[in-house]
Amino acid sequence: MLYPQNAAARTDPEAVSETSYDAVIVGGGISGAIIADQLSRAGQRVLILEAGPGDDMTIEGYEEYLTRFYSAVTKDNQSPYAVNPNAPMPRSTDVRNIVPGQPDSSSYLVQNGPYATDTVYTRVLGGTTMHWEAKVMRMLPEDFEMASRYGQGLDWPIGYDDLEPHYQAAEREIGVSADVEDQTFLGVTYPPGYVFPMRGLPLSYLDKMVARGVDGTEVEAGGERVTLKVRPFPQGRNGIPNPAYDGGKGYTPVGAVSTHQVETGGRCQGNNNCVPLCPVQARYHAGKTLAKALGNGVELLAKSVAYKVHTDPVNGRVTQIEFRTYRDPSSPEHVTGTARGRIFVIGAGAIENARLMLASGLNSSSGLMGRNLMDHAYLLNWALLPEIAGTGRGTNSTGGIVDLRGGSFRGKHAGFGIDIHNDGWGWATGAPFTDLQHIVDAKHKFGPDLRRALVDQVSRQLLFAFMVEVPPNPSNRVTVDPAYRDQLGNMRPVLSYSIPDYTMRGAAYGRRLAQRIFERLGAEDCTAYSPTDYGYVSYEGQGYAIRGGNHLGGTHVMGTSPANSVVDATQRSWDHQNLYLVGGGSMPTIGTANVTLTIAALCFKSAERMIEQLRAERAPVALLAGTSGSAQGSGQ
Amino acid sequence: MTESKITTIEDLHTYLYAALQLEHATIPPYMTALYSLHNGSNSPAWHTLRVVVVEEMLHLALAANVLNAVGGSPDLTARDFVPAYPACLPNGEKDFEVDIQSFSAAAVETFLNIERPAKAPTQERRLVPRSRRAGQLLAASPTDPGMQYYSIGEFYAEIARGLKHLDEEYARHNRRLFTGDRRRQVTPEFFYSGGGEPIVVTGLESALRAVDFIAGQGEGLGGGIYDSKDELAHYYRFQQLKLGRYYQKGDQPDQPTGPPLWVDWSTVYPVLKNAHLDNYPAGSELRKAAREFNETYAGFLSFLTKAFTGQPELLLEAVPEMFRLRDEMSRLMRNPIPGRPGVHAAPTFEMAGVVGGEA
Repeated sequence: MLYPQNAAARTDPEAVSETSYDAVIVGGGISGAIIADQLSRAGQRVLILEAGPGDDMTIEGYEEYLTRFYSAVTKDNQSPYAVNPNAPMPRSTDVRNIVPGQPDSSSYLVQNGPYATDTVYTRVLGGTTMHWEAKVMRMLPEDFEMASRYGQGLDWPIGYDDLEPHYQAAEREIGVSADVEDQTFLGVTYPPGYVFPMRGLPLSYLDKMVARGVDGTEVEAGGERVTLKVRPFPQGRNGIPNPAYDGGKGYTPVGAVSTHQVETGGRCQGNNNCVPLCPVQARYHAGKTLAKALGNGVELLAKSVAYKVHTDPVNGRVTQIEFRTYRDPSSPEHVTGTARGRIFVIGAGAIENARLMLASGLNSSSGLMGRNLMDHAYLLNWALLPEIAGTGRGTNSTGGIVDLRGGSFRGKHAGFGIDIHNDGWGWATGAPFTDLQHIVDAKHKFGPDLRRALVDQVSRQLLFAFMVEVPPNPSNRVTVDPAYRDQLGNMRPVLSYSIPDYTMRGAAYGRRLAQRIFERLGAEDCTAYSPTDYGYVSYEGQGYAIRGGNHLGGTHVMGTSPANSVVDATQRSWDHQNLYLVGGGSMPTIGTANVTLTIAALCFKSAERMIEQLRAERAPVALLAGTSGSAQGSGQ
Repeated sequence: MTESKITTIEDLHTYLYAALQLEHATIPPYMTALYSLHNGSNSPAWHTLRVVVVEEMLHLALAANVLNAVGGSPDLTARDFVPAYPACLPNGEKDFEVDIQSFSAAAVETFLNIERPAKAPTQERRLVPRSRRAGQLLAASPTDPGMQYYSIGEFYAEIARGLKHLDEEYARHNRRLFTGDRRRQVTPEFFYSGGGEPIVVTGLESALRAVDFIAGQGEGLGGGIYDSKDELAHYYRFQQLKLGRYYQKGDQPDQPTGPPLWVDWSTVYPVLKNAHLDNYPAGSELRKAAREFNETYAGFLSFLTKAFTGQPELLLEAVPEMFRLRDEMSRLMRNPIPGRPGVHAAPTFEMAGVVGGEA
């Protein structure tokens, strides 16, 4: 995919401040990229404000990310990206145990607790899709009706069927590899004859080995018998195009993005570092969509962090977004600019969206801005298989168990999906690096013995990651506090978060299930949760280490009225008729699906509404009012 | 004089086998240059070489498709299939040597020579007597080793002419030229290259498209810098390295106006040019590793032969196989040769002794 040369230098703060756009978008992640692409195709003039450095996407630039990752001692999700105090991002390595009553403000996210999350999101061009795993499952129909079906959480104002066509658009955009027959379960349906753009990626050897012990196992959940099966996941990485796609037109995979022709990434090569970064760009990242959008003439202003959303006190409409443009990530020096447009779109992720609105004094008449913060709670279970299982081969996660994502048991406890990790115990223990250390330091092995011991240890590792749903809870929230600011003067997000009992009941069920499956596989359970772990949660006399999922949602939930929600079903703000808050924040529940596919689908839906609104609101008077130049009215 | 040209189906088979040989013969030099680059250095050169290697493999698959379509049978394990290096390629009425060597300005010159667009000035000079007898000349007339084509382009032009000629002649006698087993065709499902898809050859039209594609991807189409799939032709990809600038849409040949690119000629393993097993001390680890690589490579060729003779699905396994080639080549090239300071080992691609009997 060609990234237009110098696209990152098309405009500057001064020129932006003198322009009136059709749409101003905050954030160059998947939401902003999809909306920018859709609006620009409809002939609208679009500006993207990007907080990260946002240079042209070149192969060399991408490879710099890779080199930084390869040479990093800690290979966490953010390890490819340079530290940027002007647009800081949380890192899993920053988390500290929280002393009750004393917020931990030692890193970007200020955490009140009681639970300390290691959740992250990535603030570079492309957003969190620059580190995501690209597992792209649809939500279940029941996930949209949790309150009415199970008396838990909230109902969505739309159902699965309303979103279905947009799921298809998202699957095309991301380039999903999956087979319909594997992905039809628990009420998920497709129109007749639908196929995914590319054929499903195969299960790994490890998956198949686990399947031998799992397939056909019957468990009881909520009084019902459920039969388990290992299934492949739909993946946002390139596989073999399905010739039957799009009524027989087929599909052309989108490979690497660069300012010149480079043919790589058209197929997954099975490297095992999808997270944080695919070496060949076979895994989707939003840069692929951004390249198209910029090709349509979208303007991008990078190194520009939105500072304040200004509104008209009479009609509530957003008049402009004030931003700060820095030159050097290490220096607080900046210029202030204002971006004006007919509509505004904030797509900076669930936490940053709420942070910006709250920092602008826009709490939503519902009082829900920043509330209902959700993130999947991960419970890791790890064991040593009795024989070599090929761990370390294939992409990070190719298969898992989805049968307990839904069911009547959700009236009592959370549902969950189970990922089988082809990358071994890394997430839980820091393998294989910790294994190496142990074999050298404790077992004193070297040479061929060391190699053999390492292979023997690592290639038998089995890690189940239970992705447990977290229902919306108004007291789990993002706030801001003028006492906590970043280098550029932006207020930092303050999190208050606890893991609900509903989730912990699901986690406890999951732990027992893991033990049972390990037993069936003859695997030695090595799981241990330390009470000193920052994510340690006690529940009914047992302790569990809960990890963050980086699947953030709920901070500006959608609903049926201004009283019960921040945005409507098209992600338009109830309070501000020309403002759309987009992304995971709009989701009233996150169910048991990784959130990005649903976010993308919602953005396709919203883009349709935005185009309608832009076409309907062509009154010249409004345009004049918008351009009459109160650009200096904002605080310098 | 027509004996050196294609007059019978046997001639056509011989030519297409020579085409397979020719397409393959560029892979060892390109791959050696590719893996001689230090890890993480020279991204532009690395990508250029990688794309070209992958596309030469596509050409190999296309040549196999054409040969299969006319009832031939590709055999990449034949004793003479891999040339001895330096091999020779025509350069108008002369020829030039193709060496296996490190990435260098000289290597880029050779690559430009390989891919350079060249059309014979007159019809008569398309096929000319060989200028010299030493070395294995590729794109010679495979039916008359005394004659050579003016360029690779002219060699393929003759295949295209031969295909048309035989197809017409067969039609006149109510016979079919394209009788090959459809199941032997490599289809897009089983072979992937960023720069194009395998063309399934079932008749004259698709055969000509395949032949045009092979020639066009190297040299560009009709004097332009792009091929029929809108991909930059190999010649211009290499020229970017020489000129230090990328081409972009709308550019004229020899005048790229895209972003600048940087080549670092120094971050390269200095490997022995056209290395032979005998260059490595008897009993040394290097010699063992070099022999092992040759075995792996022979295995790869036999794997491709199976894929081209009825099991195209095997190509899905080609990715890990190529990672293995990469790893074994890198192992050699990162090691200096004992007693020769500053000279590193290289793969020798000597198949004698590993395929078809004793050395």
